[in-house]
Amino acid sequence: MNTNRSISVALVVSMLASIGLVGVYIAGGDRAAEGILLGLALGGLGAGIVLWTRLIDIGPETEEREPLETSPEDRMDPIELRPEGITRRSLLVRLLVGAGGALAAALAIPTLSLGPRPGASLFRTSWRAGVRVVGEDGAPIRPLDLPLEGVLTVYPEGAVGSADSQTQLIRVGEDLLELDPDRQEWTVEGVVGYSKICTHAGCPVGLYRAQAHQLLCPCHQSTFDILRGAVPVFGPAARPLPQLPLDVDDEGYLIARGDFPEPVGPSFWNVHSGDDS
Amino acid sequence: MLGWLDRRLGADSWARSALRKVFPDHWSFLLGEIALFCFVILLATGVFLTLFYRPDAAPVVYEGPYEPLRGQDVSAAYESVLRLSFEVRAGLVMRQIHHWSALVFVAAIVVHMARVFFTGAFRRPREINWLVGMGLLLLALGMGFTGYSLPDDLLSGTGLRIAYSAVVAIPFLGPYVASLAFGGEFPTEGIISRLFVLHVMLFPGIIIGLIAAHLGILWRQKHTQFPGPGRTEQNVIGKPFWPVQLFKSTGLMLLTAAVIAVIGGTIQINPVWEYGPFVPTTVSAPAQPDWYMGWLEGAIRLFPAFEPTILGVTIPSTFIPGIVLPGFFITVLALWPFIEQRVTRDYAEHHLLDYPRDFPVRTGVGVAGIVFAVLLTLAGGNDVLALAFSIPVEAITWFFRIAVLVVPPLLGWLGYRIALELQATDFHPLRRRKGVVLRRNAEGGYDEV
Amino acid sequence: MTPRMKRALLLSVALLVATTPAIAQSESEDPGRDIFIARCASCHGAEGDGTQFGPDLRGVGAASADFQLRTGRMPLAEPGAQTIRKPRAFNDDQIHALVTYVASLGDGPEIPTVDLTDADLSQGSQLFANNCAACHGATANGGAVGENAFAPTLHSSEPLDVAEAMITGPGQMPVFAFDDQESDDIVAYVMYLKDRRAPGGLDIGGVGPVPEGYVAWALAMVILIVIVLFIGKQKSSDGDEH
Repeated sequence: MNTNRSISVALVVSMLASIGLVGVYIAGGDRAAEGILLGLALGGLGAGIVLWTRLIDIGPETEEREPLETSPEDRMDPIELRPEGITRRSLLVRLLVGAGGALAAALAIPTLSLGPRPGASLFRTSWRAGVRVVGEDGAPIRPLDLPLEGVLTVYPEGAVGSADSQTQLIRVGEDLLELDPDRQEWTVEGVVGYSKICTHAGCPVGLYRAQAHQLLCPCHQSTFDILRGAVPVFGPAARPLPQLPLDVDDEGYLIARGDFPEPVGPSFWNVHSGDDS
Repeated sequence: MLGWLDRRLGADSWARSALRKVFPDHWSFLLGEIALFCFVILLATGVFLTLFYRPDAAPVVYEGPYEPLRGQDVSAAYESVLRLSFEVRAGLVMRQIHHWSALVFVAAIVVHMARVFFTGAFRRPREINWLVGMGLLLLALGMGFTGYSLPDDLLSGTGLRIAYSAVVAIPFLGPYVASLAFGGEFPTEGIISRLFVLHVMLFPGIIIGLIAAHLGILWRQKHTQFPGPGRTEQNVIGKPFWPVQLFKSTGLMLLTAAVIAVIGGTIQINPVWEYGPFVPTTVSAPAQPDWYMGWLEGAIRLFPAFEPTILGVTIPSTFIPGIVLPGFFITVLALWPFIEQRVTRDYAEHHLLDYPRDFPVRTGVGVAGIVFAVLLTLAGGNDVLALAFSIPVEAITWFFRIAVLVVPPLLGWLGYRIALELQATDFHPLRRRKGVVLRRNAEGGYDEV
Repeated sequence: MTPRMKRALLLSVALLVATTPAIAQSESEDPGRDIFIARCASCHGAEGDGTQFGPDLRGVGAASADFQLRTGRMPLAEPGAQTIRKPRAFNDDQIHALVTYVASLGDGPEIPTVDLTDADLSQGSQLFANNCAACHGATANGGAVGENAFAPTLHSSEPLDVAEAMITGPGQMPVFAFDDQESDDIVAYVMYLKDRRAPGGLDIGGVGPVPEGYVAWALAMVILIVIVLFIGKQKSSDGDEH
């Protein structure tokens, strides 16, 4: 097919596709048809224009490069840049720079309005001693409400959905737990609770490997051993998931004994040494 | 019409030089244009999307046609994206073209940048343009990240959480800077509207300015060219801007748009309704960012659980892969023209390009860098690879941990050797031999030209 | 025949007749147990109390046995192999018999009933996102859950499979205590995912941005570079050179 014919075909295809596109839109729209017709409309026009360059009989041309640097005759005289009255007054120059810098700092300071100082927010959640453990629906939970090898996402009563307080409850056979003795007291009938926020980058650790008794974070595959205090056994997380101290109240519902003993979520510079006052 | 403009702007004399301006005619010089045209597509479709999107994280109840979400509390932003996708005619195709175009935008920038790197086009006088290009690359990444976070869906919201955590990991300043950026402790309601401002106003404005600078500098300095018959450091040989290059560029713009339009209409991308609205208490798997953030994702996945505490200051395990690594990479890349100048002590002007084989060390280093980035990106999808090939994800992680340290130097060295080899044998795999030109010399013998 | 012999013959025939039904009954009384002894006991123990090759089945319940047998996961190809969906090894009657037998070994969950008529798809999608998507993926395409475990795709599952799996927690899957309505909602959503057509076009794997990135490079960039090569080679009549 000679070039003229090709160009004509391309442009006609383009025209028909554009008309078709309008028609499809008016008729109610169809995503695939819109995309394909738009593609043909654009592509036909584009192909036609590109093919047109075959008809243009302009050979390679040469253009000289002028030197980029200005020739010495045309260059500015340094004196033009620094007229009398400026270089000699170095004190004034220094004050000028100082004032400029101070002004820049002053103008930049409203940036601090963008957000509050973190304060103790990274060290505390909404869990407090005596607060009941509730599910997504707000209802309190008894230990045996969880089936064996069952998991449940829970919150402090009154703070359902709280991002920093989210806790993963897991029920395992009591004889399987290998916690430190003081942490063993924080479990009830094999129900153990850990912060659901991964200590690596903060994703909710929702994946429970029941046979292996591990929590696996779906984001970067940090794996935590539930039976041994959620210590990380694989992946980039370096801190264990903080354990929630659990107890039961008089009616047999799960409550917290207090807040998590360490900060939840990803580590930060003073996660071990900072205090939460 | 030119006369009309000339009588008002004196356009004729400018037009004469501009339209006759010569541009060398190599296919690899068009790669940057692909990126430029993707930006045009993003602007055009972006305006359309902006007219429907609500940058508001306040909860509303979804009452639209997508049944699995009906009755749920979602953010107004998420709801507006669903409405655009399901209830606005041509909405979904516009959204998909926009998102596909973003993926291709960054890919084209990377390919273009690789071409510039391997041919040494960043050398004097083009160091400024290299820096401008770096700025464009970073802003393109920023546009992508802010853009795909706007729908406030579960996947992109998790990405925001990870970004927040990486910032928090910065020693001393981290928690405060993160609070300033997000407006408080994660999650905040204000982040969506802030991302919107960045994505729709601040970043595009800067990008448009940088593109203007990028093209203006190119125009002023004239394009580089490959060495060849008749080509010197003092000239440019090619086709004139009008009509040849303008036709080719316009055609390429339309064809780029055509390809992305067809893909946008036929292949699903970012189905936010499947992920569901963002809630901070769950995440689905697999969880990855868009491809151009994959290298960071891979770095974060591969870095081991190394979190030392030095003099009371903890260095979280996200700090090195999430902050130090990209910082180092970007700095080296940005300063490359100056690093190379120092090392080679070559401060001369260069308008003739190198072929990659002409500077084997640069080629080797470039290959190593690219392989490193590619391996990190692939590692970012380790759980998808695990699922696809039924291999334990731990094995894949360990494979990549070793691979990213061993393979880049290996392939870099290989690239170096191949470049040397190609230099020695003068063999070009793609260039057709057109015969040799001989010239009679003064002694009566023949010289090759 | 003497009267004594006649009496002995009558007695033995009577005895035979009397006991035959008993013998016949004891053979068909527990066909499940027979199949179990023949096909399952080598790993699960003669009384279903487990061996080094297979777990204790006392208390797993009818739901667990039914799930494992109907989806073909059990019997395993060999001890230690991964449990995956494969063609059933038994027919319906045999499965029913085995399930009855295993259920009799202890107290465990019964086979649940699934009723999708009042299922709430929206509730189902929320429950799925909160409980299932982390392992099975947002579109139930499956996921890698560490080491040799893979949460399978649910696109081959029947409603009863899903309901049974949730209450029995096969393999690495935890056990969920949803009420009937919640269970039906989740099953309904899984079935929805199974049958849906992706609104955006081709569903390239349904596993998120990773395949999208591959398509952007392997399809879009390849096509665009081919186009660029084509445009760059547009020769006018006097030829072109690099």
